Amino acid sequence: MDRAIRRILLFFGLISAVLVGVAVVAVRNINRSAAGADWVNHTHAVILEINGAVSDGMEAEGDLRTYVMTGDPRDRGAARQDLARMDEHLATARALTRREPAQNAEVQALADLEGRREALDARVMAARAAGADAAERVLVAGEGDEASLAAIRQAAGKLTDEEMQLLAERDTVAYVQAETTRWTVWIGVAVDVALLLGVAWVIRDALAARRRAERVLQDANAQLEDRVRQRTAELQAANQRLTTENLERRWANQALEHQLRYNLLIVNSISDAVFVLTKVLNISRINPAVVHLTGWEAQDLVNRPLTSVVRLEAGAGSEPLVDPLNQALKEGRDLRDQAAVAEDRRGRKVNVSLTLYPLQDKDKVVGGIVILRPREAKASP
Amino acid sequence: MPKPIIIVDDEAPIRELLAEYLGGHGYRVMTFAAASEAERAAQAEAPRLIISDLQLEESDGLEMIARLKAALPETPIILLTGVLFDPEVVRTTISQKVSAYLEKTSSLGRILEEVRRLAGPP
Repeated sequence: MDRAIRRILLFFGLISAVLVGVAVVAVRNINRSAAGADWVNHTHAVILEINGAVSDGMEAEGDLRTYVMTGDPRDRGAARQDLARMDEHLATARALTRREPAQNAEVQALADLEGRREALDARVMAARAAGADAAERVLVAGEGDEASLAAIRQAAGKLTDEEMQLLAERDTVAYVQAETTRWTVWIGVAVDVALLLGVAWVIRDALAARRRAERVLQDANAQLEDRVRQRTAELQAANQRLTTENLERRWANQALEHQLRYNLLIVNSISDAVFVLTKVLNISRINPAVVHLTGWEAQDLVNRPLTSVVRLEAGAGSEPLVDPLNQALKEGRDLRDQAAVAEDRRGRKVNVSLTLYPLQDKDKVVGGIVILRPREAKASP
Repeated sequence: MPKPIIIVDDEAPIRELLAEYLGGHGYRVMTFAAASEAERAAQAEAPRLIISDLQLEESDGLEMIARLKAALPETPIILLTGVLFDPEVVRTTISQKVSAYLEKTSSLGRILEEVRRLAGPP
C-alpha cells in the first residue's frame, strides 16, 4: 500500500477516535446533567413540601388561637384541616426521600414533631370546652416544649438549608460537567480540525509528489521517444543508404552485363572468323564464324596456339611462318591481309586472308585480334 | 499530380531499376519498351523529362528523340545508352540532339543529378 495512503488512513483513524471519544464524553455528561436535573426537581419538590407543611402548621396555629379566643367550631375545623394538609405535605416529603435515608430520617423527625403538635392542639381544643382561659393555659404550656411551632420551623429550616446546600453543590457539579463537556467538544473539534489539516497536507504532499513523478515520467518518456525517433531516423537513413547502395550495385551489374553482352554481340555478329589471342598467340576467345569455318567448338580451341588452326603461307619457301605474327604483336602494329591456310576439324585446308590487330591497353600490348576472311574454298586432302 | 518522367529502354531490368530508383526519390515514372508507346504517352500527357536508350524495340532512339523534340520542344531529353560514343562525337553530334548524354555505366546518383538539373525537384 502507498505510504501516503497509509498516513491518510492513520489520520482518519485518529479523527474517528477523537470523534468517538468526544461523543462518549458528551453523552455521559448529558446523561449526568439529565440525572442532576431530575435530582434538582426532586429536591425542589421536597423543599416545597417542607415549606408547605410549615405554612400549614402556621395557619393551623393561627386558627387554633382564634378558636381559643372565639370558641367558634368553624375555627376549630379550619385548624384541623390545616393540620391534615400539613400531615399530607410531610407524608409526601417522606415518600420523596424514601431513597435518601438521612433526609428521610429528618422528615420523619419533623413528622413526629407534627404529631406531637397535633396532640397538643387536640388537648387545647378539649380544654376550650372548659373555657378560654383553660385552653389558653394548655396552649402556653405547650409552647415551651419541643412540639411548639418554633421547633417545627427550626427543624424544617434545618432540613431546607441542607437541601439548599445540596442544591448548591449539585449546581457546582453541573457547571463543572457543562464546562467539561464544552471544553471536551471544543478540544475535540480543534484536534479534528488539526488532523484534517494534517490529512490535507499529506494529500497535498502526495499529489505534489505524484505530479513530480508524473513530470519525471513524462520527461523520461519524451527522452525515450526522442531516442526512438533519432534511432528510427538513423535506421531509416541506413536503410535508405543500403537500398540506394543495393540499387547502385544492381545498376552497375546491369550496366556491366549490358556492356559485355553488347560487346559480345558485336564480335559475334561479325561474319569473318575472329580469334582473340593472348600475348603468346594462344586462343582465348572465338566468334561463331570460327566454329562455322573450322568445325571446332570454343572449348576445343581455347588455350591452344593459333598455329593449331591457321598458318601463314610461306612466301618463297614452304616452311610455315608464325614469326611475323609474333613480331607484329611485339611491335604493336597491324598485320593486314596476309595469305594463310586454316585447317578445319576434318583436316581440310581453307585459304584465308589473315589480319592481325594488336590489343593495346594504353601503351601496352595485352593480346591480339586475328580475323580470317576466306579467299576461296579450296579443299585439299 | 506532378508530370511524369518517361523512361524508354528495350531492357526490362534497366527500366525497372530506373523506375524504382527515381520513384524512390519522389518522381512519378512511366516506362516503355517501344518508341511508339512512349510517343503516345508523351502526347497524352506532356512529361517533365524523357530518358531514352539508343536502341529500342522496333525503332531507333535518336529518331524517336527527334520526333519528340519536334512535338515537345520544351521537354528535356536524356540519352542513356550502353553504346559508348567518342567524346568528340558526343560534343559535336549527340549534344545537339539531347539535353544530356549519359552512359549506362554512370552511377544512379549521377543520373539523379542530371534528372534534378533538368526536371527540378520531385
